[in-house]
Amino acid sequence: MAKAFGIVNFTGRHFWVEGMQDYRPVGAFSFLGRYRVIDFPISNMSNSGIDQIQVYIRRKPRSLTEHIGTGRHYNINSKRGRVHLLFSENGVDHDIYNNDIAAFLENMECIENVNCPYVVIAPSYMIYTQDFSTLLQTHIDSEADITLLYHSTDDAKEHFLNCNTLNLNKQKGVLSLEMNRGTAKNRNIFMDTYVMKKELFIELVNKAHKTSAMYNLSDIVNMACGELDVRAVSHRGFFATVTDFKSYYDANLSLIDFKAAQSLFDAEWPIYTRTNDSCPTQYFEGASVKNSVVSNGCLIEGTVENSVIGRGCVIKKGAVIKNSVILHDVVVEEDVHLENLVADKHARITHVKEVIAEPGQPEYIRRNGVL
Amino acid sequence: MKQNNMLAMILAGGRGTRLHELTNKVAKPAVSYGGKYKIIDFPLSNCANSGIDVVGVLTQYESILLNSYVAAGRRWGLDAKESGVYVLPPREKADANLDVYRGTADAISQNIDFIDSFSPEYLLILSGDHIYKMNYAKMLDYHKACKADATIAVIEVPMKEASRFGIMNTDTETGRIVEFEEKPEHPKSNLASMGIYIFDWKLLRKMLVADMKDPDSNHDFGKDIIPALLNDGKSLYAFKFKGYWKDVGTIDSLWEANMDLLDGKNELDLNDSTWKIYTEDTTTLPQYIGPDAEIDQAFINQGCIIEGTVKNSVLFTGAKVGAGAKIIDSVLMPGVEVAEGAVVQRALVADNVKIGKEAVVGSADSEHIELVAKRVKGVE
Repeated sequence: MAKAFGIVNFTGRHFWVEGMQDYRPVGAFSFLGRYRVIDFPISNMSNSGIDQIQVYIRRKPRSLTEHIGTGRHYNINSKRGRVHLLFSENGVDHDIYNNDIAAFLENMECIENVNCPYVVIAPSYMIYTQDFSTLLQTHIDSEADITLLYHSTDDAKEHFLNCNTLNLNKQKGVLSLEMNRGTAKNRNIFMDTYVMKKELFIELVNKAHKTSAMYNLSDIVNMACGELDVRAVSHRGFFATVTDFKSYYDANLSLIDFKAAQSLFDAEWPIYTRTNDSCPTQYFEGASVKNSVVSNGCLIEGTVENSVIGRGCVIKKGAVIKNSVILHDVVVEEDVHLENLVADKHARITHVKEVIAEPGQPEYIRRNGVL
Repeated sequence: MKQNNMLAMILAGGRGTRLHELTNKVAKPAVSYGGKYKIIDFPLSNCANSGIDVVGVLTQYESILLNSYVAAGRRWGLDAKESGVYVLPPREKADANLDVYRGTADAISQNIDFIDSFSPEYLLILSGDHIYKMNYAKMLDYHKACKADATIAVIEVPMKEASRFGIMNTDTETGRIVEFEEKPEHPKSNLASMGIYIFDWKLLRKMLVADMKDPDSNHDFGKDIIPALLNDGKSLYAFKFKGYWKDVGTIDSLWEANMDLLDGKNELDLNDSTWKIYTEDTTTLPQYIGPDAEIDQAFINQGCIIEGTVKNSVLFTGAKVGAGAKIIDSVLMPGVEVAEGAVVQRALVADNVKIGKEAVVGSADSEHIELVAKRVKGVE
């Protein structure tokens, strides 16, 4: 499918993941131990035959550039295709103007130079799998101007807050986009995923900029709903967003159950990530691990339940970890008891023997933090 | 080639007959080890970590998989400019007949043109089927410091086992080799050759050219080249290696080498981030450990799904253990599936083999490790 190129967009200012996002953009967040959130949109594109992929970065580029690198691990043709890292240099000093439209404008040359008539735009803070080649075909067959992907939920009161929702007519025409304020249970959550012609995309970006310097792509698409034929396609399967700290924690824990994981992962649809060449994980005498997802390179002597353990963690004798997300290279010393928390990478929990948060109100242990 | 003017040649043509079905379709260096590796990852990673840029891999027996595997030099970082892994099966040449490699030395002789094209000062000869971590740069330093013509890496083995190895008798003060004995009945020393040699390339080249013309030669480094060098009065030095080194010749020893990894203090220390062993990257999930799983002393790789019990075992990429199944003192190679209620004990289960429901494989008191290379039917 060389008809479309891909854009992986960043999160807007209306989302903030307490703690974690101080260090890196959501796309670079570790997910389910061995992945980064951005591996999902990039793998979706790669698996759909998209080999020109532009990744936009809003701030803190280091961890994303390090993770994506040349993009070789995403299995795209290294000569014909590429993963292109782009960001808005002007935006860095003026945060309110630092939105996706500004970044697209600044990199307009790169967009114009891609030799593809269509563009698929996907966000770097949502976790789902989707074949974009069938989505593009649906879009082309329907002769619509813009096609948007959405996920129906009956859980919009508590979840997906501040995400956009789609108001649809009976023919799945999009009437408008509206922010989810948690006022109703049933909503069509917009997955920030667009398909349109490149020319229309460029036109909308220019129009958005002229209308308001603070407009995002979704604002201008909402405005265009009256004049253009904007249609929606429903997504099935696993869908999670990382829009605040709790949703990050929940998204990880929701995939501990293997059946749930099967609604996201498919052997025919691999999710690529950068290898770290860690060795397998060592379980010692006395270890007890149940209902958990464990990455490579760990040394486990303690007890782990209902948790996600990142690469290279050390869990010593007598330590107990429950309902937690442990990022890579965390050390949990002897007899330390952790519950309901996220421990960021390189944290070392040693002197404090008990960190237990309330169920449903996860706590955060800082990166490199020593407790 | 820039880094240390040393080119490495890995001998990877051996079949490994005593590994039975495991080497029916692949050469021994391509056999899986340690949860995620192939044996040849060890010499290749050692080369990469030692600053060697160019590696030739001499393949012969069932080489299709091995050829494509090692050709992707990127896996070991051996893909920079003037760097690479070269696959060298026997080939037809303008001035000679197509011939299989008749011995370890012949394999090098047939590739003199390849080696010459890099004009290295030193040539490092390695075995593709040994498991160990070694810094060849240190061995080269030693070779230079001794002003040696050839340096041979040796490891101390128990005296009572010494008659199984090629033994180097050395001058204890200088480390200079005075005598080489292949599998001596009455060994005089316990320094066993590891099959790792550094040669001055010009000298070795001369020896190989002469060896090719000798109708009585076995064309073997141990049997012909090393004794000839000693006869010529060349200075050969023994470089003592300390650490984990294993030549896995049999199913029992392959199983044992895997079991060695269960000891957290094992000398191989695959977790050492300063000397990683690189291998093929697989796009598998992390390990999924079910709610009723029990894991006690195990070495488990990504992609495994464990719902049953795993005790004192090594599980390779993507192995599945069904609910109620028990894996005890065993090795499950990549892609093995053990169905619900099955019991696997003191067994080595070959790649992708399926073991059916409630089947029983191996036994606790067997003398040898059972190799399971075919599907085992379960209870329907």
